[in-house]
Amino acid sequence: MSRTSPDRENVAVSSREAFAAWVGEAPEGRKFGQVVVRKLPSGGYEIRHASDAGSENLEVHTNPRDARDISKLTEAGEYRPLKSSPNLRRGWVLRLADDRELASAMNYLYPAAISHWYLLREGRLKTTSFRENAARQSGIYERVRYLSDEAVQNAARACCEDEVCLKKTLWDVDENTPLEMERGRGDIPCPEPCSVFISFARRVRYFEREEENTSDGNALTPGERRDLAALVEAAASGEVKMAREAEFEKPLNQRRMRYRRLTLLPKLRPEE
Amino acid sequence: MKALVIVGHGSHLNEDSSLPVYEHAERIRQSGGFDEVVECFWKEEPSMRHVLDTVESEEVCVVPAFISEGYFTQQVIPRELGLDGPVTFKDGKIVRYAGPLGTFEKMADVILERVEDLMRGKELREGRTALVLLGHGTDLNKRSSDVIYLNARRIRERGVYDIVEEAFLDQDPEVGEVVGKVEAENVILIPVFVAEGWHTRETIPEDLGLTGEVTVREDRTIFYGAPVGTHPSMASLIAARARETEHYEVVQNVS
Repeated sequence: MSRTSPDRENVAVSSREAFAAWVGEAPEGRKFGQVVVRKLPSGGYEIRHASDAGSENLEVHTNPRDARDISKLTEAGEYRPLKSSPNLRRGWVLRLADDRELASAMNYLYPAAISHWYLLREGRLKTTSFRENAARQSGIYERVRYLSDEAVQNAARACCEDEVCLKKTLWDVDENTPLEMERGRGDIPCPEPCSVFISFARRVRYFEREEENTSDGNALTPGERRDLAALVEAAASGEVKMAREAEFEKPLNQRRMRYRRLTLLPKLRPEE
Repeated sequence: MKALVIVGHGSHLNEDSSLPVYEHAERIRQSGGFDEVVECFWKEEPSMRHVLDTVESEEVCVVPAFISEGYFTQQVIPRELGLDGPVTFKDGKIVRYAGPLGTFEKMADVILERVEDLMRGKELREGRTALVLLGHGTDLNKRSSDVIYLNARRIRERGVYDIVEEAFLDQDPEVGEVVGKVEAENVILIPVFVAEGWHTRETIPEDLGLTGEVTVREDRTIFYGAPVGTHPSMASLIAARARETEHYEVVQNVS
């Protein structure tokens, strides 16, 4: 038995080469996520925030692994658990010697994105539906398998659209039930629910159970009341301080509020 | 080409949780031995599901940056990486999967190095010295504490300390009891944890009334160390764990 299969395609190598070639074809650079990647006339590559396209006085980095520090915190110093969130900080430029360094830096800015970009382009990206993913969850995440289709749809709209994640959502509820949402305009494919989504789905399952235990479908659930109260108190104090990005147990979490917008607003404004 | 993939837990909330994994990976990169060293996580990106798509090497060794054998090392990591045993042939790669760090023989050495770092330049009281190894423990999984007992036994056998005790946060013997009652004037408390976090920074010092690295009580002085998992020597332990898996293939082919 051969230990490895040299005849099989090495996806990491092919995607590195294909990405570098794609970048090389466009002298003005390619936009990918929130960055612009450009081949330098002098050789090598440059990555910078797309909003810094014409900026000078950027902090210059030449180590591809510096991309990890660049992508770790937002401009405001908040931790970024999801690298495809549209909150990459500005003010830096990565100058990289070759396509290996380019791939390495890209894998810190957008982990595994160039492999998925390449596989999608080749028509070979395998996707995993929510139901398949949920079926293999265990421990505290096991309960996500009990989410209704409707709750999965709303969770995906709340958690995955471009306002909060720049990936293009390619997975579905199951093979016969497509997601009905804005899947995203960007180049980074999302082939499977990520750990942030599963964690959010776990919270949505709590919401759904509350819904099931509330006899009148138009009555507010205890959780909805708590969230409204927290919102009123925060607004009244003059400062609505949002919870951290993946702090789904806190009322003032953006994705949680996006979910409430989909499920609570129709109760509050039944005439619309 | 040969790659080392280090698997960490990671966190959606705490930016420092994955830091030891990145630091150990960088140390191993500097020391050579692998063509690629790649990090992946349960709660951060790249996920275990997708990390192998980013690895160019045909030979891959996966080392979990987890101390205990249990839920993660036996269930979650193999499942997410698509491994079916110590050796898996997958997408043209041979993937070898190492066990957790805590059961590895050299773990006792890292613990003792951690103690040495903590005690450098500090004065002991007259009397006996006890080393207390602190694990999280859980009544739900007995194996979670095995690694603490194993390392305590290994260190006890070396005869360096008058007393070596085990202690836990979520099971008996409870850490407060052990630290307060062990018959020694000097108590060295070492968390056998993989990273700094809520427990090591907050709950443990609060519950035990620790004032820092050194806490003087009337009858004893308590020396509180940083978690073993953040010690620089963990990098060589990870690399050694990886190299050890190279014989796995032989076992696999015989069966």
